[in-house]
Amino acid sequence: MDPNSSTRAGSAPVPMVSMRGVGKSFGSHRVLSGIDLDVQAGEVVSLIGPSGSGKTTLLRCMNFLEAYDEGEVWIRGALLGYRKTGAGLVPESDRGIAEVRSPVAMVFQQFNLWPHMTVLANVMAPLTLAKGMRPDRARAVAGEALARVGLSAKADALPGALSGGQQQRVGIARALAVQPEVMLLDEPTSALDPELVDEVLEVIKSLSSDGMTMVMVTHEMSFAAEVSDRVVFMEQGRIVAAGTPDRIIRRPDHPRLQAFLRPWFRRSLQGSAAAGAQA
Amino acid sequence: MNAATLLERLQAYLPVLLAGAAHTLLVSAVAIVAGFMLGAVLLGLSTARGGRGVLPALVSVYVSFFRGTPLLVQLLMVFYLPSAAGLELPPLAAAMAVMAANSAAFQCEILRAGLSAVPGGQVEAALAFGISPRQVFRYIQLPQVARAVWPAVVSEAIDVIKNSAIVSVIAVADLARGGRQIVAANFRPLEVYMTVGVAYLLMTAAVFAGGSWIARRMERASAASTRVVNRTAIRT
Amino acid sequence: MIDFTLLGELLPVFGQAALRTLVLVAVGMAGGLVLGFAMNAARETGVRALTALYWAYTTVWRGVPFLVHLFIVYFGLPSAGVRLDPFQAAALTLAVYSGAYFAEIFRACWQRIGRGQIEAARCMGLTRRQVFTHIACPQALRASLPLIANQAILVMKESALASVITYPELTMTAGKVVAEQFVYVEPYLLLALAYWALAVLINRLGGYLRRRVAL
Repeated sequence: MDPNSSTRAGSAPVPMVSMRGVGKSFGSHRVLSGIDLDVQAGEVVSLIGPSGSGKTTLLRCMNFLEAYDEGEVWIRGALLGYRKTGAGLVPESDRGIAEVRSPVAMVFQQFNLWPHMTVLANVMAPLTLAKGMRPDRARAVAGEALARVGLSAKADALPGALSGGQQQRVGIARALAVQPEVMLLDEPTSALDPELVDEVLEVIKSLSSDGMTMVMVTHEMSFAAEVSDRVVFMEQGRIVAAGTPDRIIRRPDHPRLQAFLRPWFRRSLQGSAAAGAQA
Repeated sequence: MNAATLLERLQAYLPVLLAGAAHTLLVSAVAIVAGFMLGAVLLGLSTARGGRGVLPALVSVYVSFFRGTPLLVQLLMVFYLPSAAGLELPPLAAAMAVMAANSAAFQCEILRAGLSAVPGGQVEAALAFGISPRQVFRYIQLPQVARAVWPAVVSEAIDVIKNSAIVSVIAVADLARGGRQIVAANFRPLEVYMTVGVAYLLMTAAVFAGGSWIARRMERASAASTRVVNRTAIRT
Repeated sequence: MIDFTLLGELLPVFGQAALRTLVLVAVGMAGGLVLGFAMNAARETGVRALTALYWAYTTVWRGVPFLVHLFIVYFGLPSAGVRLDPFQAAALTLAVYSGAYFAEIFRACWQRIGRGQIEAARCMGLTRRQVFTHIACPQALRASLPLIANQAILVMKESALASVITYPELTMTAGKVVAEQFVYVEPYLLLALAYWALAVLINRLGGYLRRRVAL
């Protein structure tokens, strides 16, 4: 299955994110090998797989939070992290990296909000500090982003006063405020109590239906199946299978995929059985 | 010792002790502030370039020396060694310099601990959003470090005030020396030294109370928020 | 610049002085540990008067410089009828002074034991004393070892002040050599190195102890 076949008709000619032969090692431990992946504009791609499969590392290579050792990563046609010279690839300066990755915004598993600043200041900081936006304009943009995630009322609160779900929604607002072309979501709900997961998933779903390009690492299989255009299954640093949610999650034909998804199947069957019994 | 004359005696001690206390506070204040600035510089030097190389090693040796040897020995060395080489240092200046250098070693480690208390994820997120390392330090790390290290800095300030008594040994007219002077004149060591003790206790208690009050005020949203929201955009 | 033969000659003298420093530190610490432990145990009983005593002791003894404590004991007590020689005065003052710090160390370690464990023990019928001896002590004492090792270095540094009341430990010995032989560099160099070496040694010991008793 070609991981790069898209299910959206009329895909843009230049992919938002393009990875060719990407590899990464931590010391002697090989974390990623031979990754080829394209993400087209407007696509939602989910990365699934067991712990240690390299999904998060792969995601972090897309905004160079991890420096990949092999291959090339392109963001909207610009090479990320390195420069092509006569002698081959040379590490790029911090400025160059910032420029290439500016269309990419990330939402973190641990939220990574700045606890000493108000919610509004958290959302404004990338605008005023990184993009040099004027404060009144930044306030307006940030206000819109907060409204989009439903947290306008909490603008003057400190992150510590918010629930986990609310904090993550602020994280999403912060990413939205910079008006990215691509959003990377690193297990956005893994650190949340179960009852707070839905509010975050709702926001992500509405973003996807607005056409935001997203790459998401997640363990929420039902959600991934519902919202994704493509699902990529990884194991031990390689892409093992990729395709539509139907082919990969609902009706997997790959034996390792089936093994990985078995617990989820069991739980969702029990869930639908219980729901059926209650009906 | 009847109460009336005790009171009279205490009143007689007052001028000498107050003058001494003023010196104590002066030496301590200089030591704490200069120690903080030097400590910050030391930390900067030792974390540059990821902590490898000659400079971090030198800082490590400096800290180990100043934390591992008694202040008295450091004072004796700085006071007597230069005079052996023909240099005459004024005692007060020498005392302030040594105490600052000593405090710097401790404050460097306090700041180091404070810096590592800021979760790396917050720094990473800031960098990922394109915020420059200098801005990250000023707006993300510094406000949080300030809050985290404050109690330890207050403790260090109290230690400096106590350590300052040692400078009396090299002839600085501080509070402890004031006490010795009085005792040499009136031969009432128990009473005089206990008064000196109470004086120090008042000073350290005041620093502690002040420090706690400031700590409580820091609990509220820091100025960093307001600054970010109101600043005029400056590209770094 | 440095007279190495002189350094060599000074070594035995400084060696003896170092031993005297160590003895003073050891005695002071032993007393301080016992006193600090007793004070914390008293606080743990929950009796109001004992808790007040604890706070008075730790506040006053830690709020006044060691030098002043030393003067009160060595110069002040004789007028109240108690005459101590330099070693006794220094050791006693060190013990009571460091006791205040050890008490705080023990308090911190005792309070770090999860309330849940203590509740469980009390539910199962253990008395307060049994909880103290069998649940709290083993864990808290283990946790306190690195802090105690750190405090040992501080005690060693304060011991240098015993030179002011003429106990012939390291600092006073160095001062004697300077005064008698009119040399400055070698004695002070040796003095600084001696303390530094002791500090490094105590640090290593502390690290070793921490690894050995880690749960």
